[in-house]
This record gives sequence, C-alpha cells and structure tokens, in this order.
Amino acid sequence: MPVMPPVNGTFCVTVLSDRCLNARMPGKCATCVRVCPHEVFRLDDAGIVSVQNYNACVGCRICAEFCPEDAIRINPAESEFLVRSPWTFPQVEEIHYKAQTGQYMLRGFGTMGLPSLFDQITVVPSQLASPPPLDKYREECDLELVIGEDTCEEPIRLKYPLIFPAMSFGALSREARMALAIGAAQTGILSNTGEGGLLRDETWLIKGYENEARTMKRWEPGGYLAVQWSTGRWGVSAEYLRAADAIEIKIGQGAKPGMGGHLLGAKVTAEIAAVRGVPVGTDALSPCRHYDVQNLEDLKRMVAFLRDVTEYHVPILFKLGPSRPYEDVCACVEVGADAISIDGLAGGTGASPAIVTQGVGIPTAALIAPAVRALKNLGVHRKVKLFILGGMRSGLDAYKAMAMGADGVGFGAAAEIAMGCRACMACHTGRCPYGITSQDPELRARLDAVEAGNRLANFIRATAEEIKMLTMLSGHDSIKGLSEEDLRAVDLDTAAITGLKLIGYDRRLPWWEEAYPSQAGGGTIGVDRRC
Amino acid sequence: MAVVGRVRELVAEGRDLRAVSAELRRAVAQGPVTIRHAGHLHGLAAGLSEGDILIDGDAGDYLGVLNDGAYIHVTGNAGRYLADNMTSGTVVIDGSCGDGAGQYCYGGTIVVRGSAGALTAVMNKGATILIAGDVGNEAATYMLGGDVVILGDAGARLANYLIRGAIYVGGTWRSLGHNAVQAELDAADLEKLTAWFRRFDIAGDVPSLKKVVSLSQRPFYKS
Repeated sequence: MPVMPPVNGTFCVTVLSDRCLNARMPGKCATCVRVCPHEVFRLDDAGIVSVQNYNACVGCRICAEFCPEDAIRINPAESEFLVRSPWTFPQVEEIHYKAQTGQYMLRGFGTMGLPSLFDQITVVPSQLASPPPLDKYREECDLELVIGEDTCEEPIRLKYPLIFPAMSFGALSREARMALAIGAAQTGILSNTGEGGLLRDETWLIKGYENEARTMKRWEPGGYLAVQWSTGRWGVSAEYLRAADAIEIKIGQGAKPGMGGHLLGAKVTAEIAAVRGVPVGTDALSPCRHYDVQNLEDLKRMVAFLRDVTEYHVPILFKLGPSRPYEDVCACVEVGADAISIDGLAGGTGASPAIVTQGVGIPTAALIAPAVRALKNLGVHRKVKLFILGGMRSGLDAYKAMAMGADGVGFGAAAEIAMGCRACMACHTGRCPYGITSQDPELRARLDAVEAGNRLANFIRATAEEIKMLTMLSGHDSIKGLSEEDLRAVDLDTAAITGLKLIGYDRRLPWWEEAYPSQAGGGTIGVDRRC
Repeated sequence: MAVVGRVRELVAEGRDLRAVSAELRRAVAQGPVTIRHAGHLHGLAAGLSEGDILIDGDAGDYLGVLNDGAYIHVTGNAGRYLADNMTSGTVVIDGSCGDGAGQYCYGGTIVVRGSAGALTAVMNKGATILIAGDVGNEAATYMLGGDVVILGDAGARLANYLIRGAIYVGGTWRSLGHNAVQAELDAADLEKLTAWFRRFDIAGDVPSLKKVVSLSQRPFYKS
C-alpha cells in the first residue's frame, strides 16, 4: 500500500549526471534508490537510476547524505520555512551537530531571518498641513552632532550623526581596522576600537594622516577614535586611554547581551596574543560583566577615574545590550554618561553562541521609545546623546531611529559589508574570504585598507545624503528637528510596540495615549515620572 | 601643598578627586609626595607614569588604577580594586586590602603585608602580586599571566579557569578551580620567590610553598 508522505511537491530533486556513478556505470551504486523512504528515485530494468517522482520528496536529504559522489541537489520550490517548519533542514542539521559533538553551535556575523521592525515604519513627508518641505538640491541641512559639549574640554563634533561601533582588532584584521579609521577620517565621524587594544596606525589614520609624524595629511576633515573600556580590558593602559577622543564603557552588546566578547583561538595569532596579553591559540573570552564593578556607585567611581586619567578632556560613552532600555539608560545617565549606544537584537558579532545571537534581546526599533523616554524624564534628551545600533542598513533606518528620538546611529555589519563582506557568517572561523575578519596573512592580503576605507567613506556619504534627503522632504533644516510625527507605523503590532501613530487611524494607539499623553500640538511622547 | 624637608605634603581632606589629582600630577614630577586623609578618594594616583607617593593612613577604592610606573606606599589599609589594570610600577600596602586587588594588570608589582579579599588577581595578565596574609574566594580567576604569591590561606575555587602564570600558596586552599592543578616548584621558582621575598622584606619559607598552574590553555571550546 503506498504511504502518503507528510508533504509533497515542494522540492526540486536534481541528479548531476556528470558526477553520478550510475550515470557512468549503469547497474552500479543506486544508493539513492535504496535510502529514499518515499520512492523518489527509480532503478529500471536496464540498471539506470532516474528521478521518478520528485513530488514525493520531503526534503530530508538522506539521499544527498548517502550519495558517494555528492551528485544530488535538493532545492525547496517553496520556502523551506513554509513547508518544513519547525523541522527545517538547518534545524535538523543543528540537532545532528549537537548529537555528534556534544557542543552547541557558535557563529559569526549576526542575527539572521528576523525581519526588521523598521520595515513596518514609514516616513511622513511634508505637504500643506505641516511646515513645507525643503529642497535637497538647493537648500542646506544641518547634520552635525556634538558629544560632550558641556562636560568635556574636547567635545566630539561629528560631521554626520553616524559612527562605526566597536569591532575589535582580533575580531577584525589589522587592514579592516585601518580601513575604518580611513573611512571615518574622510567623513568626520567616529570609529570605535572595540576591546582588542589599539593599533598605533589608527591614531594617525583617524586624523587623516598617512604617516606617524603627521606631516602628510591625505584625508579631510579627520575623524574621531573611541577606545573601549570593556570587561576583558585587552590591551588597556593609561596610554591607550589617552590616545583616544572618547572612552566607551561596554556593558553589553546586541549579539550576546549578558555575555562578554568571544575571540576564538583560531584567530588568536602571535600579534593578537601580544596585544591582548594571552597565549597564542587560546580562546579570549571576556567576562560577562566588569569584575571591578559591583554596583552603580562603583560605576560612578569608574567614570570619575577615567575622566581623571584623561584629564577631563574626552567624553565617556556607554554601550548597552538590549535589555531594559528605560532603566538601563537611567543608570547610564546617573553614573555620568555623555552618550549612550544601545545595540539591538540584530547586533553583529565576530563570534557568539548561535542561540544567543538569534534569540536573546529586544529588537532594535523597540528599544528607542523607552530609551528616549528615560532621557526626557531625566531632562537630558539631546544633551546625553543616544545612538542606536543593531542591524542598521541605510539612511532610511537611520532617519527612522532619529525621528523616534535617537541622536545618531551606528553601522557595524553594514560597515563590514561596505568593505566587501557578503555576510557568509564565517567570522568566528578566521576564514573570511575578504580578509575583513581574518588573521590569516594570505586572506588579509585581499583587503586593501585604503580601498576599503574609500568604500566606507562612500557608504557613509551616500547614507548621510539619504538622511539629509528624508530630513528635508519632511520639512526640517536640521536633524535636531525630527520627531515621531515624521513617522507612522504601518501595522498594529508596530504601532503597539513603538507608540508611533498608526497609518489610516492616524493616532497613537489608546494605551500609549493613556500612559504617555501627547503634548499639545505635537505627536511627541509625553513624560512620566518613573525616573 | 606644604614642603617638609624635601618631601611635599598634600592634604586631601575635604577635597575631591579632580582637585587632589591635579595637584598630585604636578607634585610627583618634583619629588616624593606624602598624602594624608585620602581614604574618601577613589581612583587616587591613577595612570601615573612616575612618582614616589606615600599615603599616610588608609586609601579608598581603585587606588593606583592604571598605574604605569609610580611607586605607591600605603601605611594603613587600602580599599577594593587596588592597582586595577596596572601596567608598571609598585604598590605596597602595609595593612590589608579589600576585594579585587590586582585585577586586569599587565605588569608591575603589588605587595600587601596583611590580607586581601575575594577575586584578587582576577584576569591578571602579567603583574607580580604578593599577599603576606590570606585571600578570599575566587583568587586568580581566569588569570592569563603573571605570578601570585599567597603566604596564608586561599578560599574556594582558587585559580578557576587559570590559563597561564603561576600561583604560590603558603597555607591551604578551600578548593581549586577548574583547569588548575598543583605542580612542583622548580629551581627558577625558588630563585624568583627568594628574590621577591628579599626585595620586599617578606618572611616566608620559600621551599614549602605549593605551586598551582593551568592544565590547558584552551579549556573552553574544542576544535
């Protein structure tokens, strides 16, 4: 009696005849015929294997696994997630991997397969009811963003409200770190070292100089370098802190909030080991929290001595993973932050346990409203600067985050892609084909720091133009004028999550209105007294 | 700032870190400095590349954080996170210190003549840390280099996930952490320890010390 397979008609089965043993030697092999549980393959009287019924294929790939010549290709005709979920091919493979090795999966790059909430938000242009649009081609627009204006002797004046967030030397190659400095120098923005120490070259490249003596300036206007004070303190010294334009205290990151940085042994070469002070080939796994901080009072003292060591010249930034944005932002303000970056669920990574990257943390767009509300309630919105990171792709994403109340955004994964990356998710192995996340000299030779730096600068310039275009078409001559009124949520979920007005309904959802009443004449989120 | 003989005296009482620090930075360039009433200051003498500083009395938390060459001597007790993230220099405490002494250091020397708290020398990457008394739990967790000497007793999970470097213990420990194992003292150990004891005037029976080293440099992930 024929047995009906659970699903059918959804996979294309191809046997590559130039590889197939049976195609060359009729009568031989036919392993696929024997292993297929659904009679997809047929062995005829002449000894020839053919696909007799691909409609019966359920996409289990047993035939492909057993084929001695790797001659079988199974391609879903419909989305695998539609027809096999939850037992998709990658899910089956992951369980097999764990069963064989006793280990969970590690992966580089970042979150995959989760749609961005930003895509459910649309920009409201100006027509007659609001101040008229401005002309992108013939009028001016202010994109500058200043950090630490009232608190530091040397505030940072970003030409565009954009940063390259923390990506360490170790996670990235020397060439990639240099490219980020060159890209930032050409666009007047900030590059962050992450926690893997400082390359000496970065200190002059970031200011636009080609040489250490700083006699040859090649890139205008020059950018800013932030160094990270993170939980592993790799390569950290007083000299390291004093070489920077800003110090970022890392609390967490989007790809693995609640865990520290992961640099796997495959990437810990002699040079990386020397900078970090660890043995060659060891896994450099940063602690999940600062061992020298037990409470907020300690963190306050930490901010104080970091300011003291740098003689009150540079801003102190904080980086948060996506946890409880309202309360976490309040804490950062309390301990004296000049700027706060919040990294969302989609934040990138050089290496992380896969389930943590995929399933831990709040999605980026959902962090903004509570973070902004915290700053407003404390009376420091637009003073303590807020950066949004995590899966940001374009000027459109950036504009949306800024209209929701952020002061700027960071491009991490997008910066890697601008350098040439194609998101193959092999960052953790050190086998990056583009030499961006590799320490292998042969692979690194494929990345030209100046060329990649030019690409980064191009990406930032194009993105800044996009932000400018959206700012002006919605009637503003400065990014400081953006507000939630410039956005609408296109579905109920997004309106419920973000507090934005829902298209059609053209109001905020009632419970948002109740909890945080709109101020007269505007769509801005009101103030509560939770802080 | 008073100058008594050739030593400058700096009174910290009632002043904040910024004020005392600015004065201290100028003063250390001139010669030895004595600071009194500094217990309320946290992060004092941070990141100095030179200086001979005597703190008369107790010191607060994060004393000598990021020290990069100064000699700092405290006649009383020190707070938590003593000489945090030091790269060079020497810090000597006549009394005891709180939790977290010598964390994240890349170099330099710490001598505590009394006892130290929990989490001493965590993630030490190169400093020499000598504790004449006892230490609390979790000492030398994830240490990646350097030496720690504890003449008294250690608490639980000593040297948990030790990667590199050595811990020498005069007394007993409640338990050893993962990836840590007892080893024999060799001639180089004896020479090194004897020299330190002589240099810092520490009384101790070097050959009776027990040595702890790591089992593997890669205890977390395989392949």
